[in-house]
Amino acid sequence: MYPVLKTVYIRCLGLSLMSFMLALSLFGCGGGKTYEPDTLRMNLQAEPPSLDWLVTTDSTSFDVISNLMIGLTQYTNSLKCNAGCAQRWEVLDGGRRYLFHLRKDVLWTDGQPVLARDFEYAWKRLLDPKTAAQYAFFLYDLENGFEFNSGKVKDAAQVGVKALDNHTLEVRLRRPAAYFIYLTAFCPTYPQRQDIVEKYGDRWTEPEHIVTNGPFMLTLWRHEYKIELTANPRFIEGPPKLKKIKMFMIPEQATAFGLYENNQLDYVDNRSFPTADVERYRNSPHYTNIPLLRATYLAFNVKKKPFDDVRVRRAFSMAIDRTTFPKILRRGERPAYSWIPPQLAGYSEKSAVHFDPLTARRLLAEAGYPDGKNFPPVKLLYPHREDAKLVVEQAQEQIKRHLNVRVQLEVNEWKVYLETVRRDPPPIFRQSWGADYPDAETFMNLFTTHNGNNDTRWSNALYDSLVERAAGEQDPERRKALYAEADALLCKEEAPIIPTYFATQNLMVKPWVKGMEFNALDVQFFKDVSISPAR
Amino acid sequence: MFGQILRRMLLAIPVLWIVATITFLMVRVVPGGPFDADKHLSPEIVANLKAKYKLDRPVVEQYGHYLARLARGDLGVSYKYVNRTVNDILGEAFPVSVQLGFAGLLIAVAVGVPLGTMAAVKRGTAFDAGAMFLSTAGISVPGFVVGAVLILVFGIWLKWLPVALFESWRHLVLPALTLAASPAAYLARLTRASVLEVLEKDWVRTARSKGLSDERTIFRHVLRNALVPVVTVLGPLTAILITGSFVVEYIYAIPGMGRFFITAVTNRDYDLIMGTTLIFGVLLIITNAIVDIVYQLLDPRIKLES
Repeated sequence: MYPVLKTVYIRCLGLSLMSFMLALSLFGCGGGKTYEPDTLRMNLQAEPPSLDWLVTTDSTSFDVISNLMIGLTQYTNSLKCNAGCAQRWEVLDGGRRYLFHLRKDVLWTDGQPVLARDFEYAWKRLLDPKTAAQYAFFLYDLENGFEFNSGKVKDAAQVGVKALDNHTLEVRLRRPAAYFIYLTAFCPTYPQRQDIVEKYGDRWTEPEHIVTNGPFMLTLWRHEYKIELTANPRFIEGPPKLKKIKMFMIPEQATAFGLYENNQLDYVDNRSFPTADVERYRNSPHYTNIPLLRATYLAFNVKKKPFDDVRVRRAFSMAIDRTTFPKILRRGERPAYSWIPPQLAGYSEKSAVHFDPLTARRLLAEAGYPDGKNFPPVKLLYPHREDAKLVVEQAQEQIKRHLNVRVQLEVNEWKVYLETVRRDPPPIFRQSWGADYPDAETFMNLFTTHNGNNDTRWSNALYDSLVERAAGEQDPERRKALYAEADALLCKEEAPIIPTYFATQNLMVKPWVKGMEFNALDVQFFKDVSISPAR
Repeated sequence: MFGQILRRMLLAIPVLWIVATITFLMVRVVPGGPFDADKHLSPEIVANLKAKYKLDRPVVEQYGHYLARLARGDLGVSYKYVNRTVNDILGEAFPVSVQLGFAGLLIAVAVGVPLGTMAAVKRGTAFDAGAMFLSTAGISVPGFVVGAVLILVFGIWLKWLPVALFESWRHLVLPALTLAASPAAYLARLTRASVLEVLEKDWVRTARSKGLSDERTIFRHVLRNALVPVVTVLGPLTAILITGSFVVEYIYAIPGMGRFFITAVTNRDYDLIMGTTLIFGVLLIITNAIVDIVYQLLDPRIKLES
């Protein structure tokens, strides 16, 4: 009907299409390359909320900071504390006082030496109420650490950290804490330069201002998109083999994995590895699965009936076959029978609670609910996320099958869930916990009476005493025994929680990436990584 | 016309004040706060945080502070991204979304309007049926599916275009196509319906009977009148596209501001929620004002006064 119009339109469309194809052919394809020389390309998934190691609390930030900084000590991938800025340290007064002797050749990226006063400044800044650091509690073991942070002590000089001279740092603790040395390798205790922080204020962590002392330097931070680190020629152990690390922030797992498959990322971890692909690549030589110090559990509010009865709690715990969780989650998780993970000192087979439906039914009958009769309706609350849903549905099904008890599931949006659990915990709820440092203390302290994260409301004087004694115990064997006893009390005898599984890290690493190692704490260090052609 | 635009801008102030007030109250009513985390903080630490961000003050005082800051163009600070202001965050993300949004808008208009016009002109033919099938599919298929298919075909199988990231103009092609798919389909359907309606008018018949060519009739008379409803939807559509799309930015890892409409709420990042809402409000007001002006250009019978 309108041939000219049609012709014009089709011509325009054709021309556009031809130009488009031509442009694509001119600019080449996107996936032909393999690796970039001396450059590691990875996915952080999200923007680090901050690179100020005193105020940030999340693993994304720590993944960056751990490659920019070293503390008094530094972790190996086997999670031992090696010398960092401190070449040696003395433990004095039965574990109440530490003297750290700093190396004299550790330099900041601007060439200034790292001094004891940089630690004193940083630790006091961490505890300063004005900093409002969420991880200030990590230094509550210092003399007057809590008091200064809560405003009860105004004078920072009373806090138990002091630079005795340029290269000697004294730390005074309010009680012996055998795990304290681990904290000195953890981001919130890294040193800071007072002159830099005060000069640049809120913007001191931007690449043009920040000074660091680790293997890499921050050279580019394009917010919400990419961070670039380059090798630090002044690093105490010599410049790292990599010249550059590109850390992208790709939120979608499938997109990131597509980039990996197209050789645009050199390795992927859980953040970039969809479950379907984990299954597809499980037998690949480039696939690795590392158990993490991260546990998921179902918690009871022991103040709410019927879970104020220990027999009911134990019955629920024994009625759940933990081996089913890895099967439904499909990411190589490990069933959890105890609260202390197997990688940590203090773990004992004897503390483990096992699947035993017969005993579970007997305990429930003893509690007054034979074959689940007259059991009141109970609610299990979980946050809105897929893995939590799968776990609670599985638990619901098993409890029904083995105890004939019907559990009602309720889901909440994440922040609503957190507030509900903090304000008025429901009878059962799904929780998880990740280690901040590789010591049983980080797990066991959680269920002590006064721990703010103990949402079970469970309080046991013997447990508190065992954990308190273990924290200060300097003898490793006695310490292990104390934790094992406390773990058995928690999981087998009192059962305020049902440990369900330990998470794992799933990784795919390209063959040209050498020296890449991972650890159970899930902190990634790249100083020994190199890129070289695969054979 | 200048006076009318000025009046519209002045009227925008109370509108934005109402938007700001309602949003301010709503974010504080929603359960959960910015400092709720899986590791609960001690009351002492929460007190320090609230004091730092002045959230320990009465709500009325917080509201007063907020309005005072807003009057100075200060949108506040992020509670999630420590030490970053909302102005900084949106100042970096908004230009990215504008680039992507305009690219998507151009594609949507360039495809949707001609397709709808041709479908109307060739009503009842195979071309019409094909165009309407495509437009129904474009509206029905969610953006994340369109994006996934485009990535699979052009990024992974053919390797013609980057799978994701934001490094060059080539990285914009697939996101812009994904972003444009649904609006293009909607515009095609709208244009077709509008052109069909206009084609039935007596004056079109008169124009043809006077011997005007088909092209002249369509371009000069039909389209000019048929585009009024299209322009109406282009206003809010522009505001929606240039403030970013959560889905498109998410799947292509584009550092735009679309993500903040979702993540600011899930993080209870109060000032960032307010900032995104206000920016969207401002853009909606501006684009609607532009639409009103374009109305007049298309149809002089329409006056801003009316």
